[in-house]
Amino acid sequence: MLAVLGVAIAAAMLLDMVMLATGMRESFRQLLLSRGFDIRLAPKGTLPFDTDATIPSVGAITTVLRSNPDIREISPVLGSSIHISVGARDVSASVLGIDPSVQGDYELVSGQDALTPESMVANDSLIRRLGARLGDTLTVATGYDPQTRSYSGQRQLVLTGRVRFIYGATEQSSAAVRRETLEEMSGDQQRDRASLFMIRVRQGADPDRVREWIESYIPTVSAISVATAIAQVDQRLSYFRQLALILGSVSLLVGFLLVTTLVTVSVNERSGEIAVMRAIGVSRNHVVQQIVAEGVAISIIGALIGLGLGLATAKYLNGILSTFPGLPMAIDFFLFQPVAAWSALGLLTASGIAAGIYPAWRAASLPISETLRREAIA
Amino acid sequence: MLFTLVATLSLLLPQTQQSAARTIAIDETLAAQAKLKVGDRVTLLARPAAEDFAVMTATPSGYNPGVAPAETVIVAAIMRRSADPSQIARADLLVRMHLDQLQQISGYGDRVDRFAVATRPGANVGRLLDDINGVAFGFRAYRSRDIAVETSRTFQVVSRFHRAIGVITIVASSVFLLCIMVLKVEERRRDIAALRLMGISRSSVVKTIIVEAALVSILGSVLGVGLGWAASLLVNWYYQGIYRTPLQFSIVTPSIVAASVALSLLLGALAGVLASVRLARTPPLVLLGR
Repeated sequence: MLAVLGVAIAAAMLLDMVMLATGMRESFRQLLLSRGFDIRLAPKGTLPFDTDATIPSVGAITTVLRSNPDIREISPVLGSSIHISVGARDVSASVLGIDPSVQGDYELVSGQDALTPESMVANDSLIRRLGARLGDTLTVATGYDPQTRSYSGQRQLVLTGRVRFIYGATEQSSAAVRRETLEEMSGDQQRDRASLFMIRVRQGADPDRVREWIESYIPTVSAISVATAIAQVDQRLSYFRQLALILGSVSLLVGFLLVTTLVTVSVNERSGEIAVMRAIGVSRNHVVQQIVAEGVAISIIGALIGLGLGLATAKYLNGILSTFPGLPMAIDFFLFQPVAAWSALGLLTASGIAAGIYPAWRAASLPISETLRREAIA
Repeated sequence: MLFTLVATLSLLLPQTQQSAARTIAIDETLAAQAKLKVGDRVTLLARPAAEDFAVMTATPSGYNPGVAPAETVIVAAIMRRSADPSQIARADLLVRMHLDQLQQISGYGDRVDRFAVATRPGANVGRLLDDINGVAFGFRAYRSRDIAVETSRTFQVVSRFHRAIGVITIVASSVFLLCIMVLKVEERRRDIAALRLMGISRSSVVKTIIVEAALVSILGSVLGVGLGWAASLLVNWYYQGIYRTPLQFSIVTPSIVAASVALSLLLGALAGVLASVRLARTPPLVLLGR
């Protein structure tokens, strides 16, 4: 029983590590594709919203992009920060300037989208901090000078909707207004600029070809397709994949050693029985099959128990990693996919077969008469 | 007192202009990537040169050459990065230059991002902070360690994750060790039966097995510590190469070695007790299969 528990723990660890190795990438891919945008354009040499840099000449770039028939939809986004006066308090938050008809940054939960230049939508975190309700008029500014304690780019905006930002971090307070509203509030510094373009390509078009076309025509941007974004995230978070590989291998080795030891002890204890079976005509192959099957059975029972254990520990570990500052809420490091469970089960079954080979070989090569004599004397 | 201004710059290479240029220091990653060496001349701009090209291409009539003038400087030093955990996952390239030079190039004026203040030994830092915050207008003073705590949240999360993985690994290893030890003792059932039939007492048999299990555990621990130390060297070599940092990613300390050996010894002895008590209670003839 203890040995099966040991195999179950090894199986749980293995499942967790397979989930960690594959889940992060899949979760990120699902997040990027959740709104159907295939390509992101960020200022040259940066990742979206990784720096404060912006892309100039939004109008001209949009014209260039529209000339490509493979591009179906373009959504320029300007990111900035805002300050909202609430009595004597100043609440700061991040803000996105978007075009509501093509935006892919948030989902409307209740109320109305930012359809007019005077409207604003916000997420729960910001609404809670403001103590505001839908329909309230807020005094919003894009600049704050701490030396003179004065605001710039101030404007009265009506909170029209409650939204959930898809790429937002758990603790992040965010709002969105129309891009032209944010440009006006920010002044000349941000005029005709965007932090990011999100692009949908025509169905059947190759996003990577479109990406290459964009980079050759617009040198101010880095065009990032879902594949390149995943490659960049892979590079940044390679540590977790390597950790998963190492710990997964160790778990597999531990499971293998346990099953080998267990089956070997079992074979040693039953050497007399095995010798009798061989003496009455049971073939070597049959003995080998029986012992290998024993190893596989232990592995599968352990794996089944380990499945529940693995899911529980994965949830716990994912809870820890989800508190990463700035990590989008929708990203899971440990994502359960049936393929992960099947992979772990397959690896354990293979290790169970391998674990049974040595004891099976020992059992098959037992000298029959000598073993029977030894058993009789004992 | 240090004044710090951080800005994103772009470098244009190479330059042949010969004038009384000022100097900069660059980090070794930038030197390697841009194939720069001490004495080379480069031109610094506060924004990518490609932006001008793009603006011209996209909107010929709206082209604005910008306000920040370029400056040609000499690479005077190549520096190695300090062991800063906050930099390891970033691919930033670093240039160090004179404050007034950066203010001029970036168009930042007489402004800085932060002041770093060194205090005299024995100074009351708390009172100093209160004094500065009492008279300061437009900025706020913090202790370095408070800022370090705030900016190291990522590493706190990683650290919690490591601890959780560590606990799970210890539990898994404990069960594994227990299993192996119990199975190995079970294998000795005939020896134990023989000892009992020879008249050796139960307690002597139990003690013998516990001592043997403890010795096996210590031997395993020594091997494990050696293996762990070698793995630690490998991990440091690999990640220091990947991230180009002198940070130590894995450290084997005496306390970790002591804890590992103690845990292994405890588990070995426990397994010895579990298995030997059960076997000692079983009649010797049953152990022999009679």
